[in-house]
Amino acid sequence: MELKKVWEKVLASIELQISKPNFLTWFKNSCLLDKNDETGVAIVGVNNTFSKEWIQTKYHKIILEALQEIDSSISRVEYVVISKNKEEDGFQKPIANHFPQKEIAQINTDPETNLHPRYSFKNFVVGSSNELAYTAAVAITKAVGKKYNPFFVYGGTGLGKTHLIQAIGNEIVKNYNNQIKVKYVPSEKFVNDVVWAIRSKRMEDVKNKYRSVDVLIIDDIQFIGGKERSQEEFFHTFNLLYQNNKQIIISSDRPPSAISTLEERLRSRFEGGMIADITYPDYEMRLAIIKNKTLEKGIELADNICHLIASKLQRSVREIEGIINKLHFYQEFKGTNNIDLKTAEEIINSVIQQSAVAINPLQIIKAVSQFFEINQNELINKSRRKEVVLPRQIAMFLMRDMLGMSYPDIGDKMGKRDHTTAIHSYEKISKEIIKDKALSQKISIIKEMIYKNNSSG
Amino acid sequence: MNVVALKTNLKEGLSIISGARKESSNLPVLKNFLLETTDGGLKMSATDLEIGITHFVSSKNIEGGSVVIPYQIFSQIINNLSFERVNLELKKGNLLISTDNYKARITTVPKDDYPIIPQVERRKNNFFTIESGVFIESLLYVVPACQTSEFRPELSGVFFSFKDNQIKLVATDSFRLAEKTITTKKFETQLEKEVSFIIPLRTIQEVIKIFSSLKEGNIKIFFEENQVLFETQQTSIISRLIEGNFPDYEMVIPKSFETEIVLEKEDFINALKLTSSFSNRLNEVRFEVSDNLKNIKISSSSSEFGENEYLLPAKIKGSVSQITFNWKFLLDGIKNFKSEEIFWGLNGEEKASLIKAVGDQTFVYIVMPIRSS
Repeated sequence: MELKKVWEKVLASIELQISKPNFLTWFKNSCLLDKNDETGVAIVGVNNTFSKEWIQTKYHKIILEALQEIDSSISRVEYVVISKNKEEDGFQKPIANHFPQKEIAQINTDPETNLHPRYSFKNFVVGSSNELAYTAAVAITKAVGKKYNPFFVYGGTGLGKTHLIQAIGNEIVKNYNNQIKVKYVPSEKFVNDVVWAIRSKRMEDVKNKYRSVDVLIIDDIQFIGGKERSQEEFFHTFNLLYQNNKQIIISSDRPPSAISTLEERLRSRFEGGMIADITYPDYEMRLAIIKNKTLEKGIELADNICHLIASKLQRSVREIEGIINKLHFYQEFKGTNNIDLKTAEEIINSVIQQSAVAINPLQIIKAVSQFFEINQNELINKSRRKEVVLPRQIAMFLMRDMLGMSYPDIGDKMGKRDHTTAIHSYEKISKEIIKDKALSQKISIIKEMIYKNNSSG
Repeated sequence: MNVVALKTNLKEGLSIISGARKESSNLPVLKNFLLETTDGGLKMSATDLEIGITHFVSSKNIEGGSVVIPYQIFSQIINNLSFERVNLELKKGNLLISTDNYKARITTVPKDDYPIIPQVERRKNNFFTIESGVFIESLLYVVPACQTSEFRPELSGVFFSFKDNQIKLVATDSFRLAEKTITTKKFETQLEKEVSFIIPLRTIQEVIKIFSSLKEGNIKIFFEENQVLFETQQTSIISRLIEGNFPDYEMVIPKSFETEIVLEKEDFINALKLTSSFSNRLNEVRFEVSDNLKNIKISSSSSEFGENEYLLPAKIKGSVSQITFNWKFLLDGIKNFKSEEIFWGLNGEEKASLIKAVGDQTFVYIVMPIRSS
C-alpha cells in the first residue's frame, strides 16, 4: 500500500514536468515495485522495453528527484519490465460458446494448473446423490491437505466427478491467491508423461513436475491400472506428497476395491483417506441441473420441456447437456423460442435410441470380459471356474435387461447353452442385484462401459 | 548530414519500415521515422512502441548526421520522383531533398523526441539461425490458425518452442491447431536448454511481409525475457513477446483414428470450393463416408438457395462416419501442402480430426467438427 502511495506522488510530480501525451504513453501501467531503505535502491516497473529504454534515458533524473523528495534515502533507481496482465484477475473466463463450432477443450484450460475455469462450486448442483462428496470437497478447500487426504471420488461417467474435483482446484486457486500450487491431470496424461520420460530419459523432469505441487488432482485413476511403471511412479509421487501434507484428490469410475489391476499398496493408500461416491441424480436434481445449464448458457427452454428431459434422461448429466444443446440449436435454427412438446420429444427420442439401437450382444460380452479381465472365449465356453460363472450370468442378465433378447437367443449367443440356463441366470442376478449393493454397482459400471465403448466406437 | 542515395533503395526501405509507424497515437512523434547515416549507408527506423523495424540502405555519405521526418510526406516524395539519384541534406533544421529537376524542404522533428528502439543483448547462445525461405514457409503453415481477436492474449500469436533439438511453431484459436516442426538440419543454434515464447501475430505478419521476398540468406532470431529480434543483413524487426503461457497442446493431437482417409490434394480443394457454394454463414460442409469405403460424399445445402453434393474418390479405412466441418478451416490447413496426397484422420462427431500431408511428418493440423444440426 505504501509503495502505491509513494508512486502516486511521484507520478503527480512527473505529470507537471512533461507533456500529457508523453506522460500517458510512457508511464501507463508503471508502478513502484520495491524500495529498499538500506541499499537505497528503488525498483520501478514499466509496461514494455520501449518504455524502459525511454524512461531510463529521458526521465531518470526527474524520477529520482521526485522519489528523493519523498524518501531521501533513495540513491538509485532501477527499471524492470512487468507483465501487463499481473493486475488483472488471473485467468480470463471464456464466454460460453454458443456456436455449433466445437472447441478443442484442452486449449481453454489454464496451462499452469490444467484447470478449466468453467468448473466451480457455484454451478455444481447438489442433491442427495452427491451431497457427501460435495461436503467433503468444500471442507478440503478450507483445510488443504489437513482433512480428508487423499480424497477419492467415484461414480459413473457424466455425473460430475470431473466438475467436482476441478471445482476444488479452482476454489483453492481463488481462495489462496495462487499461493498454493494446484495441478490437475487426467491419469492418461500422467501415463503419457511417464512413457515420454522413459523414452527420452528425462524421468527427473516428470518427477519434479508432479512432486512440486501442493494439490495434485488425478482424474480417472482407473486408467493407470495395469500400467506398472506408471503405478510405480505414481506410488512414489503419492507417498512424497502425502508425507509432506500435500492434498491429493483422485477420481475414478469405481471404488478402489473394484479396480482389479491396481497394485495392492496403491489401493490401500487410496482407502486410507476419504472415499465418497456420486450416484445417479434423482428427478428433482436432474430438473435443477437442467435449469442451471440453461441459465448458464443463456438458453430459454419452456418448463414442460425441462420436465420432459428430466424424466426421459436418467443416465448422465453430460447427456442432458447434449440434449439441451441440441434443442437450443433447433430453436435457433428455426428462429423460435417455443419448441413444441412433440418435436422436443422426437429430438430426445432420436438421441436415446441412437445409443440403444447400436448395442449388440457382442459388445456386452466384450464389456463384461473387459471388466472382469477374463478372456471372451472363456466367458462363452464350458469352463465352470468360479471366476467365470458370475460374469457369464451377468452377461446373460444384461442381454435380457438391455436388449430384451429371448432366452433361447441368449443361450445361443453364450456358447449354445440351454434356454433354462439363461432364465436361471437372469432371475438370479435380478434378485441379487436388489440385496447386493456391490453387485449392482458392478453392473452399472459395465453398462457405462458398454455405452461408452459404443459412443466412442 | 549530406548524403546521396538511390530512389529505389529508399523506396524499398520505406516500404519495409512502414508496418511499424503509427499514424494516430497519443504520441504524434510516432508518425515520423528516423534517418541516420552509418558507415557506408543510411539506417531507416520506425517504431509504434510494440515493434521496431530498422533497415539499412547503401548511400554515399558526404557528411554524417541524423534526422526525424514525417513518414507520409517523405514517402510520397520519394515514390514519385523521376530521377534515381536523390540528395538529402540537413540545413538549419530542415531536410532538403533534391534531384536534377526537383527540390523540396521538409521541416524536421527534434531528434531527441523520437523513441529509442531497444536492443537485444547478443550472446552466443540466445539465438537461432534459420534459412529465411524455410522459416517463412513454416510460418505460413501455422499463421491461419492464430486467434485474430485479443480475447485470449496467449492465443493471438505463434508459439515458438525449442525442445529436443527441434523448433516447433504452433498456433491455435481453440477451434483448430497447427503445428509445424523445423527439424535439426534446417537451423543452427548454440542453445542447450529448452526455450519457448509467444510472438504476437502482428509481428509474424510483418516478418512474413518483409522477409518473404528474401529467397536466400539466413534470418537470425535473438530472444530475451520480454522481446524477440529477427535480423538479416539489411533488416531487423524487434518486438515485444506475449505474456502468459501457451496451452499444453500436445495432448490435443490425436494418435489413433476411427476413420482414415487418403485423398488427392487438388481434388479435395476443388471439392471444398465447389460444394461450399451452398454453405451457410457457419461455412458448414457435410462429409459422409459410406459403406463401400471408396468415396466421400461432400455436400452442403442452403434453405434459401438449394443444395449440392460431390463424390470424391478416396482410400478409406475404418468405420463409416458423418461429420460436418467448417470448410474454410479445412482449406486453411491444406492450402500450403507441397505433397499431392493428404491424410485425414477422423474420430467421430465429437472429437478432433487430424490432417497432414502424406509422407510429411513435420506438419499436423487439427480441426474440430461443427455440432450437427
